[in-house]
Amino acid sequence: MSEPFDLIVVGGGVHGATVALFAARGGLRVALIERDQICRGASGVNAGTLTMQMTRVALIPYALQAHAMWASAQNWLGHDVGVVVCDGLSLAFTEAEEELLTFRAGKRRDAGAPISLVSGKRAQEIEPGLCDDVRVAGWCRVDGFANAYLTGLAYRRALVSAGVVLHEQQVVIGIDSGAMGYRVLTKNRVFIARRLVVASGVWIEPMLAWLGVHLPIKVLINQLSVTERIAPVMRTQVGIASGLLSLKQYSHGTVVIGGGWQGKGDRTSGQGDIVAGNVVGNIRLACHAIPALRRARLTRSWTGFEAETADALPAAGAIPGFPDAYVCGSVHSGYTSGPYIAKLLVERILGREPEMPLFPIDRLLASAAETKRKESAT
Amino acid sequence: MSRAFDLIVIGAGPAGGAAALAAARHGLSVGLIDEAAAAGGQIYRAPAPGMVMLSGKRDDDANAGDELRAALAASRVQAFYSHRVWTVARGFQVDAAGEDGHHSFCAPRVIAANGGHERLVPFPGWTLPGVIGLAAATILMKSQGMMPGGRVVVAGCGPLLMAVAAKIVSGGGDLVAVVDLAGPSDWISALPGLVRRCGLLRRGLGWILAIGKARVPIYFRHGVRAAEGSDRVARVVIGPVDRAGAPVVGSEKVFDVDMLVIGHGLVASSEVPRLLRAGMTYDRLLGGWVPDVDPCGRTSVEGLFAIGDGAGIRGAEPAAIAGAIAGLAAARDAGRIEAGAFDTSMTVFGRKRRSYHAFASAIGGLMALRPAQVAAIAPDTVVCRCEDVTRASIDAAARDGAADVNQLKHFTRCGMGPCQGRMCGDVAAELLARARSVPRQSVGYWTGRPPLRPLPLQDLVGTFSYSDIPIPSPAPL
Amino acid sequence: MSAPAATRLFGWQRGRPVRVAVDGVPLFAHEGEMLAAVLLAAGVVRLRSSPLDHAPRGAFCLMGLCQECLVRIDGVTRQACLVPVLDGLKVQLVAPYEQTP
Repeated sequence: MSEPFDLIVVGGGVHGATVALFAARGGLRVALIERDQICRGASGVNAGTLTMQMTRVALIPYALQAHAMWASAQNWLGHDVGVVVCDGLSLAFTEAEEELLTFRAGKRRDAGAPISLVSGKRAQEIEPGLCDDVRVAGWCRVDGFANAYLTGLAYRRALVSAGVVLHEQQVVIGIDSGAMGYRVLTKNRVFIARRLVVASGVWIEPMLAWLGVHLPIKVLINQLSVTERIAPVMRTQVGIASGLLSLKQYSHGTVVIGGGWQGKGDRTSGQGDIVAGNVVGNIRLACHAIPALRRARLTRSWTGFEAETADALPAAGAIPGFPDAYVCGSVHSGYTSGPYIAKLLVERILGREPEMPLFPIDRLLASAAETKRKESAT
Repeated sequence: MSRAFDLIVIGAGPAGGAAALAAARHGLSVGLIDEAAAAGGQIYRAPAPGMVMLSGKRDDDANAGDELRAALAASRVQAFYSHRVWTVARGFQVDAAGEDGHHSFCAPRVIAANGGHERLVPFPGWTLPGVIGLAAATILMKSQGMMPGGRVVVAGCGPLLMAVAAKIVSGGGDLVAVVDLAGPSDWISALPGLVRRCGLLRRGLGWILAIGKARVPIYFRHGVRAAEGSDRVARVVIGPVDRAGAPVVGSEKVFDVDMLVIGHGLVASSEVPRLLRAGMTYDRLLGGWVPDVDPCGRTSVEGLFAIGDGAGIRGAEPAAIAGAIAGLAAARDAGRIEAGAFDTSMTVFGRKRRSYHAFASAIGGLMALRPAQVAAIAPDTVVCRCEDVTRASIDAAARDGAADVNQLKHFTRCGMGPCQGRMCGDVAAELLARARSVPRQSVGYWTGRPPLRPLPLQDLVGTFSYSDIPIPSPAPL
Repeated sequence: MSAPAATRLFGWQRGRPVRVAVDGVPLFAHEGEMLAAVLLAAGVVRLRSSPLDHAPRGAFCLMGLCQECLVRIDGVTRQACLVPVLDGLKVQLVAPYEQTP
């Protein structure tokens, strides 16, 4: 048993780590408990895409703020995480994709993202590496990418500097609430605090269940691939109308291919595996968009978990029925928007009104209860 | 479309070849896949296409290789040479890229026989062009009919050192010096184990005699301090080491060379078991992380066998026996052999295999990673050659809190390059464990991920049109 | 090109003599020989540079694992130790400036 903390954060990905960081800087004594290592899960293995063009319309205002945070990470995080701000292109190759892109780009633009539609020819001027097949493209100057695997090192240094007590390689096996506040149990220890944030990504569902709160979280198994270092073949961040491609080349020459093609796995084992056919499909799409990629060699493919709520919007706010307990995660493109949403939550935790609305989970609990009622009625 | 077999064997060296033959003999349909153009692995590697040895004594390895290739050709094993396996999924599906494109195979059983590869403990200049491994020199001589050098220094440790030196001498090469980390007392204390296989021991003694007869100086208890040169190695500096392999005060010698041939033992290529998350154990004498296997070679993953050097460095003869056993076991699992017949064969094979135990341990001892040699690596020496990561960076990552090799990779890019951590892995892990003062096992091993070897995207995607791509439904708006 | 780093032994029958070009310079080879070995025999020992330090690099393991013997053939990066030489093979070295820092 340790001395009670002011706040326990469960989950050391970008959401949990950012909450812990700003809470500590706000004067709270914080413990961060992580089952593996800081930002080694989704936050350390995702494609690092910082785009508005794959961000949900409702999240655009948040993503714009988060983009500015990532672009200035050196200031608030003490490490630039390899962030490159560059143009982003979302491509349409078929008539159907052109329709889809025009519609979606319009919606995102209405929400505040500076996206304009350009011809395929213009897109090629912006991105000389593009193939000739592009019919139309969404072009956004507020785009770019981070180097996800640097996230862990960056946050670790900042967290330690801020005095956050880090407990890694500790799997949380139970959470309960009582007179003293919240108790978080691992195999060998009990942590106690008045305030709790559950930021455990795909494991939010089983953890909230310990508190009797039923929040279904879908587990996506996203696949990624990376090439060896090659001479420059592209200079923008590239996606497609449907959102199923992300493509960028880092300054050290490797190209990372993503877009949410699914592998196989489950949250109980915590393991994911690629599905060969889906890796081939994803890479074919990438090679179609940037033909010079065919010359490169694939050096690694891997998977990461992504959490998704029923309406694919964040779970960020208070846990109903539990004072001073919050959930933060399942943001959808969580890496892109995560730091800003986490920062807003800290405002609430410190007793202030966040400058933008959070995403209370009541809406998800209501619909989950409704679904259950319907199921038991049939 | 997937080609179905009763058994897929990955790797057509002594172990894989024997396994495929044994299984096929008992009626299993067997798919044998290897990235080389012919069976034999490295030790029984075939001469290059169009090459035939005309004169000179054909050595045992050449004969064994020819026998293996002939037996496979005459068997019902379906061989897929020049095919590079890039991933294996449980169940199993094996995906490979060949000259004619992408192929998928499936079978309820897979035998992984990927062999081993050389390890080199870094020293200043170890990455210079003209520095090649002991195994590399063997490949040059056996399969390309070429002698390394010009002037050559052969250095390192283990039996391969003497084998290569002797072969250079007998081929008329210009061998300037042999530099062995071991001393005569190390060889002598290995003797009780070595003597169990008289034929092999005689061969080894023959090597040393040949080197001595050619009046090539052998520097026992010496290591390479540095390789020097601008665009390629031009000089090798050697100096004395202690029993543990660490440099000690003593006079250095410098040799002008065209090539440095050097190796510090062998590491098991266990990428298939690691990819499938089989249970692994760290064993210094067997070449590092090796899969946990039962006496038939079964790993902790149902249907997956691991045999040969890929399951622990023991040499070619034990590999062939392990292959025969695994092939038999696969046939038994498939119901093609009666229990009685299986047990009888196993008794015979088991006895044969046990007769190699002591020999293999002795050899393992001579080739095992020497912690003191690793400890002596200078801070500015590159350890991960793919990514130019120095010892200093690894030590800094340890101070930054890197707890295992995968976190080390994220902190430094060590192991992220195209060799996928093969060249640096053993040494990087040793350095990390030392920097954190923890047991070697606790820093783990690289997470196995596909592709098993780098693969040109061209070979992976083949020819296709946009409408061929099965793009999933659009992400939510 | 400098002094040979490998020497062909007598007593072998080899494939027919063929021409290989490396960055336009013709080299002598036999059909079927390993490209990496042909380069060593021709004294082409430095093949490329390391990514950060731009240090000289060349073939090391000759068995497809170390990834040091990379060359370009028809624009595709290949390991020279896995390429059997054919008549008219055109090889480009991966020049130092191609490696981005």
